Amino acid sequence: MLEVRSARKVFYAGQADEKIALDNLDLTLQTGEFGVVIGSNGAGKSTMLNAVSGALPLDSGQIAINGDDVTDTPVHKRAKRIARVFQDPMLGTAASMTVAENMLLADLRSTDRTLARGLNAKRLADYKDRLAALGLGLENRLDTKVELLSGGQRQSLSLIMAVGGSPDLLLLDEHTAALDPRTADLVMQATVRAVDTFKLTTLMVTHNMAHAVDYGHRVIMLDAGRVKLEIGGAEKANVTVAKLVDHFAVKTDAMMLGAGA
Amino acid sequence: MMEFISSTFTSYVALVPVTLSQSFILAFVVMGIMIPFRTLQFPDLTSEGAYPLGGCVCGVLIAAGVNPALAIVAALACGFLAGCCTALIHLRFRIHTLLAGILMMTMLYSINLRIMGKSNLSIFGSDTVYNWAPFVTPGFPVSKIIIAGLIGAGVFLALNWFFKTEKGTALRAVGSNPAMAEAQGISVWVSTIIGVGLASGFSATSGALMVQAQGFADVNMGLGILINGLAALMIGEAVVGKQSVWRQLLAPFVGAIIYYQLVSLCLAAGMPPPDLKLATGLFVLAMLALPSLKRGRGAGGTPAREKFRE
Repeated sequence: MLEVRSARKVFYAGQADEKIALDNLDLTLQTGEFGVVIGSNGAGKSTMLNAVSGALPLDSGQIAINGDDVTDTPVHKRAKRIARVFQDPMLGTAASMTVAENMLLADLRSTDRTLARGLNAKRLADYKDRLAALGLGLENRLDTKVELLSGGQRQSLSLIMAVGGSPDLLLLDEHTAALDPRTADLVMQATVRAVDTFKLTTLMVTHNMAHAVDYGHRVIMLDAGRVKLEIGGAEKANVTVAKLVDHFAVKTDAMMLGAGA
Repeated sequence: MMEFISSTFTSYVALVPVTLSQSFILAFVVMGIMIPFRTLQFPDLTSEGAYPLGGCVCGVLIAAGVNPALAIVAALACGFLAGCCTALIHLRFRIHTLLAGILMMTMLYSINLRIMGKSNLSIFGSDTVYNWAPFVTPGFPVSKIIIAGLIGAGVFLALNWFFKTEKGTALRAVGSNPAMAEAQGISVWVSTIIGVGLASGFSATSGALMVQAQGFADVNMGLGILINGLAALMIGEAVVGKQSVWRQLLAPFVGAIIYYQLVSLCLAAGMPPPDLKLATGLFVLAMLALPSLKRGRGAGGTPAREKFRE
């Protein structure tokens, strides 16, 4: 379970270009729930994700995972509980290392690393199996350096790395945005499969309204650093792309009329 | 002409054993340069100060009658601390790695002088680790080759093992992609400090071995060692490659051997020693410029200035 309580983050505080990125944001995600976050540019989606992952410290407010306050926990310690797939395929993998070594790094995310040999036969066999599920042939390229893979392959690898070990929380940061439509679809299918199989608590940020409609249990729309709209349960089942886009339109009109300020 | 070649050859061959012993000792500096540059992507200049630091610590201890092996261990520990400081300066104050290294090596010069109390210290005639070489008469270059070679082989095997362990793989990930490493639960701080510390430890070990080999310690003994080491590393990588962990680890040793033979050949051919740094510098420049020359000017839209890694 993820709880974000009164999270506040202000950039350039006290300066002319002060920007309130998170405005006392409250958000709760139940264990096993798949939340999809949408919102226009600058609504605070990335800031929220970075705050949850620990990459960005909050000015005030709390973040708790499964009831434990992790507000002051640094990124590498939070990683024991959180797995993340970045938008940029280059960010999620170590380019100069092999596919197997990358799998190993993710495999050890929530354990203490020892001085035992990293890539043993048992692990290699396990990685082969897990990569084979993607159907991209990565299982035969365990010794290939990741820099030689395509963007789609790298992102698929990032996903497999993230969902392994059943993290308490999976963060997906527009993870299909940089991919061509076919690959994006492939990665999205693999995501849904993994989230369903392992019952992962997932927070996905996306600009793809079709994905927001088709996947997840709840749509969370952010605006100006707070939750503007939540659609869950039966209502979520009936929502359409057009309805979601309407909410964006209203906001834009409001901004144009100056009512937003 | 024939006479020149034959006399050059004769003096070169006479130098081979001495040069070889020098190569094995200086291979540790090259290792100390390789680890930050290649494994951690942390261009580091600390070795220029850590090498004489190791020499000074070792010299003072041996002059005080300490066991020579213990003196090397103490030098390694001091070098390790120096490297940790460089890493901390970079991590804590967000100072560029190169500047952090320059700061450290400048400060180390004073510290080295303080340690020795004077600029030069002779330990000639003291017991050294080379006296323990099996099968050979102490004092001959062969004993240095054997001892330095054995330690080198040990370091190579140990690192080759370490970089394949879980901890070692994590350390390499920090060099490859720090943000990703952190997201995988690896502390970038701890890995960087230990990695750079270890590298400076090797540089200091090299200084300690050199002091025992030449019989004196000198605060200026590190002058230009970094460029020499970089040249050796580049030669080594050109010969054995760097595609895999063991090749990357072997490169410093192979590079050190070839580089110092080349230097010896130049000297035997009558090149004035003061010109050596210019020649080495030009060589390193050529090696660095080669990829960009191959690409051709303007091709690929190279930026006007490279962005510095913070």
